Amino acid sequence: MSHAVEMKDIYKSFGTNNVLKGVDFTLEKGSIHALLGENGAGKSTLMNILGGLLEVDKGTISVTGTLVSDQKSVIDEKIGFVHQELSLVNDLNIFENLFLGNEKKKGIFLDKKAMSAEAQATLDRMGVDIDPYTMVSELSPSYKQIVEIARAMMKNAEVIIMDEPTTSLTDVEIEKIFEVMGTLKKQGISLIFISHKLNEVIEICDSYTILRDGNLVAKGAVTIETTEKELSTHMVGAEVQTSGIYQERQIGDLVLELKGMSRPREYQDVNMNVRKGEIVGVTGLMGDGRTELFASVAGANHPYEGSILVNGKEVTMKRTSAAKFSKLGYVPKNRKENAIIKDLSVEENLVLPIMKNISRVGLIETKQKKELVASYVEKLNIKVSDTTNMITSLSGGNQQKVVLSKVLSTNPEIIILDNPTQGVDIGAKMEIYRLIVELAKQGLSFIILSSEIPELQRVCDRAYVMFHGQIKQEFARDELTEENIMLVATGGTFESA
Amino acid sequence: MNFKNLKTMFAENSSLFAFILILIVSIFLQGTTFFNIQNISNVLLNNATIGIIALGMTLIIISGGIDLAVGAQLASTGIIAIAVANNTGSVILGILAAIAAGMAMGLLSGTIISKFGIPAFIATLGLMQIYRSIAQHQLNGGGILVDRELVGGFLYISNTRILEFGNFPGIPLPVIYWLVLAVVVHIVANKTSFGRHIYAIGSNEKAANLSGINIHRVKLGVYMLSGALVAVASIIEASRLGAMNSAVSGTMAELDAIAAVVIGGTAMSGGKGKISGTVFGMLTLAVINNMMNLMGMPPFFVAAIRGGIIILAVMLQRSVSAKEKQY
Repeated sequence: MSHAVEMKDIYKSFGTNNVLKGVDFTLEKGSIHALLGENGAGKSTLMNILGGLLEVDKGTISVTGTLVSDQKSVIDEKIGFVHQELSLVNDLNIFENLFLGNEKKKGIFLDKKAMSAEAQATLDRMGVDIDPYTMVSELSPSYKQIVEIARAMMKNAEVIIMDEPTTSLTDVEIEKIFEVMGTLKKQGISLIFISHKLNEVIEICDSYTILRDGNLVAKGAVTIETTEKELSTHMVGAEVQTSGIYQERQIGDLVLELKGMSRPREYQDVNMNVRKGEIVGVTGLMGDGRTELFASVAGANHPYEGSILVNGKEVTMKRTSAAKFSKLGYVPKNRKENAIIKDLSVEENLVLPIMKNISRVGLIETKQKKELVASYVEKLNIKVSDTTNMITSLSGGNQQKVVLSKVLSTNPEIIILDNPTQGVDIGAKMEIYRLIVELAKQGLSFIILSSEIPELQRVCDRAYVMFHGQIKQEFARDELTEENIMLVATGGTFESA
Repeated sequence: MNFKNLKTMFAENSSLFAFILILIVSIFLQGTTFFNIQNISNVLLNNATIGIIALGMTLIIISGGIDLAVGAQLASTGIIAIAVANNTGSVILGILAAIAAGMAMGLLSGTIISKFGIPAFIATLGLMQIYRSIAQHQLNGGGILVDRELVGGFLYISNTRILEFGNFPGIPLPVIYWLVLAVVVHIVANKTSFGRHIYAIGSNEKAANLSGINIHRVKLGVYMLSGALVAVASIIEASRLGAMNSAVSGTMAELDAIAAVVIGGTAMSGGKGKISGTVFGMLTLAVINNMMNLMGMPPFFVAAIRGGIIILAVMLQRSVSAKEKQY
């Protein structure tokens, strides 16, 4: 067998950040090869180099046996890149998308006949039965993915890179994609499959390469003996230290129960509970449905099926003010889009949900507002010179502390934190963890949605792992290892020893 | 004070400086013809109704919306005020009916926009035509006069001056209404949770919702408050003229009000703006109009100059605030 791609001793850094530290990568012709690793391991950088989007610092690349000197031109011809985020135009049909920017013309008019015929031929080759005149907006996610692959096929690519093609697909749709991948493989096309779902890797791939922190840590063939556990251990590496933030606490009665929570295409039949003073983690990979689930619990994703019980009483979370009324606080993910009002000051952002409570005869009491804000600035150690400055003048960590203060100011009993340390530096991160544990000691309950496993290990009493909108497993604190979680989050099953 | 502070001060109060500039130009060009008590008093009086409408429009635009229906609302509520007063013989009932009708119209706009998610531009474009058409249909395209018996009481509302002494002609009541309402709306915008929530929604509706603010209720409130202000403006207008016309009254009022808001420095994208800015924006427009009248500008050409000045004013503000962002 000959090599379709051979990358040797690849180095790449961004400023002082060394992303790839001498990585080798080999892809056999006519095979499906998995590229694995955690977020930040360097997978995307490596593939962006192969796809011609980034220049290498050092190292050599050969494609189909010829050394690539001018990265861009060779790669344009031979390598197709199917990105995770689809780049199709919904309001055009399939062949118009396939020829976008590269249309065939007869005089000044588009040659629709020739374009649709060529598109049809490509789709036939892929073993897909679909009319090229179909509008892309009418296609299911798997067929959109297939159109993306077809676009790579149109330029006769010999290597196709697929970046997490299955994350937003259902099982049936994934089977369709696998079918197409199998057809392409038979025709001698080589595929690189980037995925977090180890069960899929074992199902479809011939070989694998695992990166960690910019280094090649393992590679080999996928055989009957290959296990998900083996792969996930390589991905995670040595266990990360969790320093003494966590503290044993008094755990009280049930404060929040979710029963049979479902919402089509987002989450299905979720049952969960949280006790007073408890810190519960929820994790999973992209598309696990945890963000959507807890947006519903916080009243921001209505309607839903199932019931939400707060302190044993059923509540309907139709809008966010209902959550506030039920003493449920919510810090959404993506601070800039969802939590910060950029045209308001630090103090106005902080008191936004409780302005009515600090008003007398309809007018906001300035003195009371200032005192309240000052107390949170002190308690959370927010670094701000003047609280009447705009919120955008603060660093990410301090903005996040303002957002936390905002939620705390409503005196919640349960707080949902979605990705609470996103874009927060390590120092502020630790402060936020300590605060969470301290507040839990005082009887507050926390639900922490995070994909960072060390984060869960630092603060959580237990954690649920979700996969495709369902809870796959619940882990007690002493079972919360990266290996266990990755195994379940990628669709595997964990058996307690 | 260093240069940077001066620049910030200019950026934050650009509408005030623009107004002062226009004022100086006017005095320079027209001298005492412009700068005498009688003329100034007339300028203020003539712009009080649009000035009041622009107050509500400011809040609507800050909330991220727009209202094209205010002109038709002005005609409709004015007609309701006169009709109710004529039929009941009570001016007070006429006023209350107009304000109730204005708030109901605001409730309708707010519901269509917030509950059904129709863009404000389209919702109010439709409502504008509906209100105008119903008013014209009811009056056969004509107007309605204040009854002879009521004339005294009704006309008193607008055609009265206070603080008259010696050579000082006094201040017309509509000007007082305008200034008092401007202060009230300013306080609502800056000191109440309702007002601050309007800014929050205009700046980042998603984040405001996730903070537990009832977006729907705030939006309804904004359009209802605007509706009430339009009704007040319509009563002033009806009182000044002793009549309301279904076809003519309030035409282009929405565009004049939006122009005042924009010259006043309020961002069309929402989240940013000041009531004081809108007052100065209105005054700037008023002085420009007056100056052109006094200079004997051909009447059909006045609008062209005004249009040019609106664009110029906003361009100037943009260039100042764009530079601000670099710090």
